[in-house]
Parts: sequence; C-alpha cells; structure tokens
Amino acid sequence: MDLLQATLVVVVLAPGVVFAVFGLLWLTGWVPSERVLSRVTGATFSSSVFGLAAIVGKLLWTRTPSVEVAFGNWFAVHNYHFPLVLMADRLSLPFLGMTVVLSGLIGQFSATYLHRERGFLRFFLLLHLFAFGSLVAFAAGSFDLLVGGWELVGITSVLLIAFFQQRTAPVENGLRVFVVYRACDIGLLVAVFAMHHWAGTASFAAGLPKLTGGQTVIACLLLLLAAAGKAAQVPFSEWLPRAMEGPTPSSAIFYGAISIHAGAYLLLRVQPMIAQSALVSGLVIATGVITAIHGTIVGRASADAKTSLAYASLTQVGVVLVEIGIGWKSIAIVHVLGHAMVRTLQFLRAPSMLHDYHMMRSASGGELSPTGKHLEDLFPKGMQLWLFRWALDRGHLDTILDRLVVHPLVRLSRAFATLDHIGLGQPMPRQREAAISGRSSAGVGGD
Amino acid sequence: MSQAEHRAGSRQDRLLRAVEEAVHLLPKQGPIGVFVHHNTLHAFEDLTFEQAVIRAAHLFGAEPYMSEAAYRAELARGRIRLEDIDAVLDSEPDAMVFPRLSRHSLRRAMMTPGVREFDAATILWRTEQGDLSRDFHQPALRALFEACFDRAVAHEEDAAPPRPVDEAIHPWLIRLCSVFLDQGMAYWPMPNRERGFYESVRTLLARRGGVFPRYLTGLDDEFRRQESHSFSAADAVLDYLDSQDLAEAEWGGVLQSELLALPGWAGLMRRLEEDPALAPHEPVPCSLMDFLAVRLTMTRVASRMGAAEAGSEEPPLKTQERRRLSRAARLYDAARVVSLSADEIIRLSGAEWQAFVSEVGACNGLERRRILHLAYERRHEREILQGLASHRRYRCCSDRTDRPAAQVFFCIDEREESMRRALEEVNPQIETFGSAGYFGVVVDYKGIDDPHGAAFCPVVVKPRHAVLEQPKAEDSALLESRRLRRRILGRLMRNSFVSSRTLMRGWLSTTALGLLSAVPLIGHLLAPRRYARLREWMNREFLPEPRTELTLMRNSAQSQEAVRGLLVGFSAAEKTEAVASVLRPAGLARGFARVVLILGHGSSSLNNPHESAHDCGACGGRRGGPNARLFAAMANRPDVRAALRQRGIDIPHDTWFVGGYHDTCSDDVELYDLTEVPPAHQADLDRLRESLDKARALNAHERARRFEGSKVPVSPEVALRHVEERSEHLAQPRPEYGHCTNAVCVVGRRSLTRGLFLDRRAFLVSYDAGQDPDDRSLAELLAAVVPVCAGISLEYYFSFVDNDRYGCGTKLPHNVTGLVGVMDGHASDLRTGLPWQMVEIHEPVRMLFVIETTPERLMPVVNANASLKRLTDHRWIRIATIDPATGRVHVRRDGGFEEFDEPVERLPVALTSTEWYAGKLQHLTMAWIQGQGVRRGSASADETHGESKAYTAGSTREGRAGGQ
Repeated sequence: MDLLQATLVVVVLAPGVVFAVFGLLWLTGWVPSERVLSRVTGATFSSSVFGLAAIVGKLLWTRTPSVEVAFGNWFAVHNYHFPLVLMADRLSLPFLGMTVVLSGLIGQFSATYLHRERGFLRFFLLLHLFAFGSLVAFAAGSFDLLVGGWELVGITSVLLIAFFQQRTAPVENGLRVFVVYRACDIGLLVAVFAMHHWAGTASFAAGLPKLTGGQTVIACLLLLLAAAGKAAQVPFSEWLPRAMEGPTPSSAIFYGAISIHAGAYLLLRVQPMIAQSALVSGLVIATGVITAIHGTIVGRASADAKTSLAYASLTQVGVVLVEIGIGWKSIAIVHVLGHAMVRTLQFLRAPSMLHDYHMMRSASGGELSPTGKHLEDLFPKGMQLWLFRWALDRGHLDTILDRLVVHPLVRLSRAFATLDHIGLGQPMPRQREAAISGRSSAGVGGD
Repeated sequence: MSQAEHRAGSRQDRLLRAVEEAVHLLPKQGPIGVFVHHNTLHAFEDLTFEQAVIRAAHLFGAEPYMSEAAYRAELARGRIRLEDIDAVLDSEPDAMVFPRLSRHSLRRAMMTPGVREFDAATILWRTEQGDLSRDFHQPALRALFEACFDRAVAHEEDAAPPRPVDEAIHPWLIRLCSVFLDQGMAYWPMPNRERGFYESVRTLLARRGGVFPRYLTGLDDEFRRQESHSFSAADAVLDYLDSQDLAEAEWGGVLQSELLALPGWAGLMRRLEEDPALAPHEPVPCSLMDFLAVRLTMTRVASRMGAAEAGSEEPPLKTQERRRLSRAARLYDAARVVSLSADEIIRLSGAEWQAFVSEVGACNGLERRRILHLAYERRHEREILQGLASHRRYRCCSDRTDRPAAQVFFCIDEREESMRRALEEVNPQIETFGSAGYFGVVVDYKGIDDPHGAAFCPVVVKPRHAVLEQPKAEDSALLESRRLRRRILGRLMRNSFVSSRTLMRGWLSTTALGLLSAVPLIGHLLAPRRYARLREWMNREFLPEPRTELTLMRNSAQSQEAVRGLLVGFSAAEKTEAVASVLRPAGLARGFARVVLILGHGSSSLNNPHESAHDCGACGGRRGGPNARLFAAMANRPDVRAALRQRGIDIPHDTWFVGGYHDTCSDDVELYDLTEVPPAHQADLDRLRESLDKARALNAHERARRFEGSKVPVSPEVALRHVEERSEHLAQPRPEYGHCTNAVCVVGRRSLTRGLFLDRRAFLVSYDAGQDPDDRSLAELLAAVVPVCAGISLEYYFSFVDNDRYGCGTKLPHNVTGLVGVMDGHASDLRTGLPWQMVEIHEPVRMLFVIETTPERLMPVVNANASLKRLTDHRWIRIATIDPATGRVHVRRDGGFEEFDEPVERLPVALTSTEWYAGKLQHLTMAWIQGQGVRRGSASADETHGESKAYTAGSTREGRAGGQ
C-alpha cells in the first residue's frame, strides 16, 4: 500500500474510528467534555480535508484517473465473494470532498450550537458515524460495500430526526422515515443479489458488472427505487418535511447536502448502465421531472422556513436526476456540489428568516414585489384553489400512501395476529391488543 | 319569525360571550419579531400566585414550581436552609393528625429527609425491581408497606384524557394556520385570505377532487354543506355545538378545551384580531371565531370517522390495582419518614387513619413544592434585605458636594447594573441613574432606513407624536444614493432568495453560483469575527451613512401626519414634560454635571428569532437608542431649560446632554450627535468616553463569567472580543443571557446600592423620596416600572419551571413560521414563551421590589392603582420598603407590613468587582466593592458613625435639592 492509498484509507476510516473510540469509552461510563469532543471533531475533519486535497493533487499531477485499495475478500463462498475495495475516482472524489468539508463545518457549527445540550455526545457520535457511512458509500469499490455505508447513512439520519426523544413527534416522524428507507433499500439489496446472481460480482472497481439488456433494466430499476427513496423523490417525498424535527445543523447536512444527494451518487455510479436503456433513462428523467415540479409547487405554498427549504432541495435533486437521465454527468456533479453549499448555508441561516425579511423589506422601501402572481395568472380560479390545496397537503402523497399501503398492511397484520391467537387457542391479552391497535391507528391518525 | 331571529341573535351573543370567557387563557404573545415580556399566567392574576399556579397546572398540564428534586438539590447546597422551611411551616396553621403526630412534624419529615414521588405508571416496576424492592429487604419496612397497602383504597384523580381527534386534525389545521397567517414567506400566498380564515379555508377545502386522510374523509362534503347554507363562522360553531347536543352551560368548557389544544396558533389569531397592526408586514383579517369554526368542523368530521375511539386504553382493573399500589406507597413513605411502625399503622383507629391519609394527601408533591418554593424565596429575600440594610447602615456613601465628572442615565434594566457599577469603579467621580429606557419619550419613530414608523414606548401607552429622522441638508444627496443602493441590495437579496428555491432559476443559480456559498459558510463558521468585520467594512463602503437630525420641533398643532393623525414633533411644553418626567423622580433637579449622558439599550445577535426579547422592554421590545437621542435633543433646548427652571429643575448653561445606545450583547456603546457638542465640552466628553470604553470591557468581563464555554477570559479586552463574537456568531444560541438573572428591583437613590455587588440581578430605579413629598413621582414610577418588571420576572419564572409547556423548549429544532413565530420541526403548535437557552441559569423567584420609602407612604400609592394592587395583594410580586430616613426595613406579608428584624451583619468586602466574581460561575451573594462609592468619607469613618452617619447621608441630598 503506497502513501496515496494509505491516505484514502485513513480519510475514510477516521470518523469511524472516532465513533468507535468515543462510543466504547462512553459505554465504560466516560463522557468526554464538549471541548475534547469538538477539538477531536475539528482535527479529524480538517486533516481529512488535507488528506483528500493531497489525493486530488497527486492524481492530477500524475494524471491517474483513480486510486484503489483492495483488502482482498471479506469472505468468499464458491463463486460468491465479498471484496473489500475502496476507490476514489473522478466521481467519488467530489462527493468525498463535500462530505469531509461539510461535516467539518457542521461539526464546528454544532460545537457552539449544541453547547450544554443533553445529547451533545450523542449528536457528535452520530455525526461521525454518518460521515463514516457516507465516506464508505462514496468510496466503496463494490455495491456490497456501498450497502454498508448506505445503511449507516440511513440509520444515523433516522436517529438524528428522533434526536429529541422526549417528545413524541420526532420519534413518530423518525419511525416513518425509517420505514420508507427500509422499504426502498430493498431495491438496493435485491439489485446486489441480482448482480451476483447474473454476473458473479457486484464490484464496479474494474468496470460495472456485465449484464444483458434485460438484466440491466431490472438492476437499474431496483437501484432507481433505492435512489428515489434516499433522495425523497415522488412518491416517497413526504418523509422529507418530517425529517425537519432534528436540530438545525443535522437537517442542514442531511437534507440540504449529503444524504439527499446519496441517491444521485448511486445513479451517477451506474449511469453507463442507465444510458444503455431508453426505458430506464426515461424513467429516471420522469422521476426527476415529476419530483421537481412537485417540489417547486409544494414548496411555494410552504410558510415555514425548513419545509420550504426541504422542498427547494427536493426540486433541485429532481433536476439532478434529469441531468443524470440525459447523461450530463459533469453538470450533475457540479450541480450537486453547488446545491449542497447553497442549501447548507440556507438551512443554517434558517433562524435568520425574520431578520432577512425585515432587511429586504426595509431596503425596498416597505413593500416587497408580490410573488406567486404568475401562478395565479397561469391557472383559472377554480384550478388555483385545487392546486393550492394539493400543494398544502404536499400532493396528498402521504394520504395516498396511508390508504394504499399503510392501512391495508395494518389490517393484514392485525388479521394475522388474531389468526395466530385463534391457532394457539388463547384469547389475546386485551392490553396488548389495545396497545397494538392504539399504536398503529394513532400513527395513522397522526399523518 | 322575528322572534326566532331575535332568539338566534341572542344565541350568537351568548356564544360570543362563551368564546370571550374561554379566550383569556390563551397566550398573549404577538408575532415574535417584537417580543414583549408579560406574565404567562396573566389570565389568573385575580387569584393569588399560589392558587393560580396550581389552577393553571391542572388546566394546562404544566408544572407550577420547579421539581422537588431541584429544590432538594438547593437544600443540599445550602441555597435553602432548614430554618427557611421551618419559618414557612410556622407561618401556616398547625394541627394534630393524631396524638403522636402533628401536621408540622409530618410535613417537615416529608420534606426532609423527604418522601419520594410515586405514580401508577412506574409503581409495579419499582416494587418489583426498583427502590421499593430494595426497601423490602428490610422486614420492618416490608411489614409497614403491607400495613399501608391493606388500609389503602385506590382513589386518585384521572390524568387529562388523551385527545386522539387532535392527532387527526392538527396536521391540516397547523398548515392552514401557517399559510393564513404567513407574512410573506410562502412564495404563493393563500388565496382569498382577505375573506378571513373560515371562509378562505371553506372555499379551499370545499372544492371537489381532494384526497383526505382516513379520519378527515368527508371534510369537503361538510364544508360544502356549510357553504350551501352560507354559514357564518358563528353559525358553523353553533351548528357543531348543536350537533353534539351540548347545553349552553357546557359551551365554555368545550370551547376552552378546543382552544387549548393548539394554544399558540389560537392565541396568535386572537392577538391579531385584537390588534391587526401587530402583523409585521401583511395585515390579515383574523378572528378567533373563524379559527373555532374551522377547528370544530374538522373535529366533527374526525369524530364522525371514529378518530375519537382510536386512543389506547388500559383494562380498568389493572389500572385500579396500580393506583392502589402507588397510593399505598405514598402512605408508606410518609409513615417511614416519621418512623411509624407497621404495628402502629395497624393500631390506628379508623378516624386516625383517615386523618393520616388526608394529611399525607394534602402534603402531596405540589404542596411540598409550594413550601419548598416559599422557603427558597425566603432565603433570597433574607439575603437581599440583609445586604441592602447592611450597606445602608455601615457603608452608605455620602453624596458628594462637588460637581460630578459626568452623569449617566441608564435603563433600569438589571443588565445595566454591572455596567453602572463598572463605570463607577472606573471613575468614581461619575454618577449614574436608572430610568425606564424610553426616557419619558413616548414616540412613533421612523429612522432613515425604516419604511414605517414604530412605537418606541411601553406597550401600554400609545404614542401621540411622530418623529422622523432626516438627513442634514448637506447630506441629503448621500441619503438618496444610500436609498438607491439599499434598494439594489434588497432586490439582489430578494432575487437570490427566491431564485435559489424555484425550479429553473434555482437550477441555473445553484449550478453556476452555488459554490460561491462556501465563502460566507466558511467565513461565518471559521472566522466569525473577521467575517463580521469584513461585512461591516463592505457595508460602510457601499452604504455611506448620512448625518441626520430629528424632526423634533412642532410649532403649531396643525402639523399632523396625514395617515395616522399623529402630531409631528413635540411642542415646547411637551418636551419639558418629557424631560421633567425623567429628572424629577430621579431626584436630579440641581447639581448637574457638565456632561449628562442618556444611554438607551438594545441587543443585536445573529440567527436568533428571539432577538427582540433581549431588547428594551420599556421601549416595547425595540432598541432604545432613538429615545435617548430625542431626550438629549430636548434637554439641550434653551426654551425647554427655561421652562424646567420654572418647575424647579435648574439645568445650568454649561451642561450638555448627549444621547447614546448600549448594545447589551456586544457591549458596544454608540453616542449620537457628537458634531453638535460644543467645543468647550469636548474634553469632558472625551474623558467620559474613555471611562465608558473601560467600563464596557469590564462589563463584558463580568458577563463572560456566566458563559460556560468562554474559557474564562483573562483580560477585559479579551472578554470584549468574546462578547462581540457572540453577537456575530451564526451558531450562537445564547448571544447573551438577557434578563435571565432578574430577581430584585430597587426603587431608591443610588446611594442605597452604590458600591454594592448586585450580580446583575437587580433592576435599579432612581427615586428620591425626599424630593417627592406628595408621592406623585412614586406613583408614576411604580405604575410604569412594576408591570414591566413583574412581566419579565414572571415570564422567566414560568418559562423556567416548565420550559416545555410555558416556554418554547430548546431552540435547536425551532423552525420560523410565516415570520410570526417558531414551531418545533415541521408541524407543531406555535411555541410561545422563552427558549431554554434564554432561561437556563435563571433562579425562579418572584421579583422582590425594595422601595425606598415607608409602608405608610407606599400603600396609598399601591392601592390607588388597580394593577399594582392586584399584583401586590395576590403576591405575584414581593414588596419591601427601606425607610429613607432611618433605614428600617419592612416586608409585606399577608395584608400588612412586618419589620425585618434580623441582626444586620457586615458584608464581605472585595477590592473590585472582578476580584469578587473571579473564577465563579454561579449566582453570587452581595459584597461591598471597595474601589468605589466610599471615597468621600472613608470606610472606617462610616463604620464608626453607623446609623447616624447614614441618616445624615440621606439628608444631604434633600438639603441640596432644596425642593421642598
């Protein structure tokens, strides 16, 4: 392993090591002071930034397209093997860079912002775990490894939404996001299985797995499902506003910057496969277009800072998908980076909204030019009302999902529960039955 | 027909009355941009404090006091002493529970060593695995528990039933409220808003083709039905009440619980209905009836769809069992702490057992906390009165007879206490005064950059005068270019704001320019101070500020502003009145220094929706700079001075008034109109500015001790940089601690407190009883000061004791909504009250007013003012007096005054404030600060003369003033 490879390994592993060390120490009962934690965070991410800069510099200097580190196989059974390959190429480097820079900045912000908060340590542990997860996902040389990082991003995202565990709303919303993530991750897992089945490998370090036309379509569709879930594309968009329950900085880094773009990364990774099929390209574009339109209309009717930012993010991620579908890879990458920066800043400054509006209004002499007029000109009166209601209920997506999926599932599981007890010949304990039905219907009612 | 109509009309009237009755429980907070502190439980001021907190606790499901554990911790660290608890118990009636046990001994034991809290939810676990199971290892305790359990009957109040319907309707209702009240954040404003909440929502939701969640299915049909009957909001409400078969007597209760399910939104609707001008940008026609109509229609549909049955319930038997267990546990614990044995319990007669049960029940957690709280406040009261009395007796500084180097008026704000002390420490020749921060200037002020005027005065008064800030003639071109450039800048901001959020423009801007955001992002986070300097510099370069003057003069009554009928400028008589209203109560009629500085205050911070809560309460939650500037301008006018001389206030020709502004967050001090200062005063002013600069650094140093993360600044200069950075840091949730340390209000001469370390905990109101023979000034002062201070104190009290219910929780998940308030996350009630970061170091005590007068003079003043009388009689504030002549202290107890008769001891002495607080993070007790105040007569001389010296000290000022 040369210095370049070693640097890559250190950059990827560093936040994971920090998480593991502090997590273990915490289990032994030691709670580090805020200062120690923020210093370590700062040191970790700033050295990662330099490390990555060195890698980029070296690659540019030597005109090498990528650096790879192979650790051999984790395990191998017959012709199935789980290769551990880290790799940084022209696609993963921007994402890796974005991750370390923004994680470092968010760490810096949070050290002040979360001062004296009860969950200070928990927040930083999750931040490191999240950074580790996204670095693994972006530097993975195979889909197998990518799944690992992907899942870490998902679980930390959910745990940070439910950061304020003493209130019910964050926990309920976190659970909802968790379920959407899990459902969509099935796509990624099945795609990985399918690639192994068909091509014998899910590694892309040495080029994407060789699949036939039909297989490619199926694999891409599965990956699109996974990407759409993570990127909150229609019809899964409704988890995004719910994710605003966490502390402001975590909303910024997850839904303004990194987590929301992970789906785009996945699609960029398989873009050559997508390009092979007009059907898949069309679907990716369609998803993007629908989401962008959905996001822009719903966002326009949102009167709170974080929801309107969430939908603004969604709109641009939709556009990124369109770019990927068309095949504009470089534009998509530039777009992702620019968008992540803009949105992170806007999320962090979301509490300044009062101040900003006051400024803008007084600067323009008391009146702001009205917005939304062209929407009103565009649609007839009756249509406007319909559309506004549609936007206000966020496209009714949640309601539809509840009615088509959640309620039938709840009913089905309740039926099974009854069946189970009849089979056992025991009456179901009243209390548990009540608790189960209460929980599920309360969850539904709260939507 | 006509009779039916008449009946219907009166039904509506009765409904209106029922709504009015339910309404007063809603929070009074307006849009968050202008934050005015007020008593969170204003609706309960007709009850005594102790009754009110309990009533409200039941009604809102909130905490009335701190937790018992918190008081116990205070007991453990000596903040509460056992003698305090005994004193509180002794002040209340005692009785025998049964022959071997008195109420006091039982209560005393239940408080210390103390009993535990038990509830039905955790009791099983605690008997099986928790603390009780450990108790049961001792056979005697186990037997005692069993004895209690055998005799215990389950009887307990139900917790408030859950409201599952709320969960079904709130997501929709919250979104509707937020778009309806939106002040311009949503790109697309809600259609038909001008028709009111009910009608616009009805038109919106009645449209066909909508998809509703399960429990709201049919909402569109319901609204269509109401539309076809052309219901008014009141009709819709009545229709709901009828559909539920509710008698009119029950209306109030139903409406109240509906309103209290989302008190923040309902309260804001109400506030904007009462005063539409509160809407910061876009007035919307609000009405609480509209809100109720929408809410009740949704409730109706949701309950029809079965949402009400969705709640979980426990089997009744099991619940009974647990309640009995927890009740037994309570009795057991009480019996344990008074060392009753199982035998004794068993042998108690039925009546004795009943008496024991009811005594233990009466001394429940709430009651124990009440007693502990009173003990907690008693210790505070003792310390404050001791300190003031000691200072008065042994140290009271004589008023000097030579001319002071300068006189500085501050706001009464407790945050200025340390600033005043610092200034006096820096230059003992400086005199300071405290006066409510609007400085008698009740005005609607419009600065050069403001689009509209705004009221700069306490919220209870409405300004009749308008003042405009205008550029000086030679600078008017500068203003034009400033306006133009600001407009360009505003448009640029607005465009980048909107375009980053829309589809096509967002695409272009984020792709092409997105990476540029890294500059402010990194600047803000990695170099906040340098970045702020850069921005300031750019602002200065790009937006030059013209020199300005104020439209102060009014020559004829005709010069009225067209729009609101305000008088432009003040007449000479009005100016005189304003100036006199500050100088006279402060006892400053003679002996003016060459420079008199008036310092308004405010607070600037970044990324803080609650910024306005740190501004000047006396200016209605705004920044008091303009008031100070106006006051100075008025007091400098020869005609005003002449008129003042007629009224006994003799301002010499060589006195110059200067207005200024103190930023309590960054500790910046800015002085106004320096070009107007006569050359002869330049040197005096320079010296004063030098002192101010030293003082603000010292002040920053003292403030920094409370900030845990501030690395204990080594020097005042470092501390100043630290607080500056706080006000400019994007991530700082505690730019300053605001009124967090408020606890006391001293109304009296500065000599009463000068040289006393009050730890930024005391509002200081300058008042000289010697110059107020008819107590008129006292009445004016108290009428203005008490409600403001009490409002601040009580808002902090409640936001602290129950930050989730009365306050607005932690700032971290706050989400600014519609520019009117904050929510938690994407959909919650509008959060009112103060965030945890603002109150976390507060000591929740009712404010103690110490007034330098006698009870005989005070009480007529208090009784003549309904609001003062209510606050005092119902103990929402605490009151004590210090006799200006003798220094004797009286404390108000139920109905009368009681002399404070503890032996007065000397206070600890420190050379400087810094020496006293160095290295300490907590609230500090009083101390004498050697470096100031006592220069005139030396400390030892003071001490030998004791009481008589103090007496002469008191009368010196009277003699000099000679006003009587």
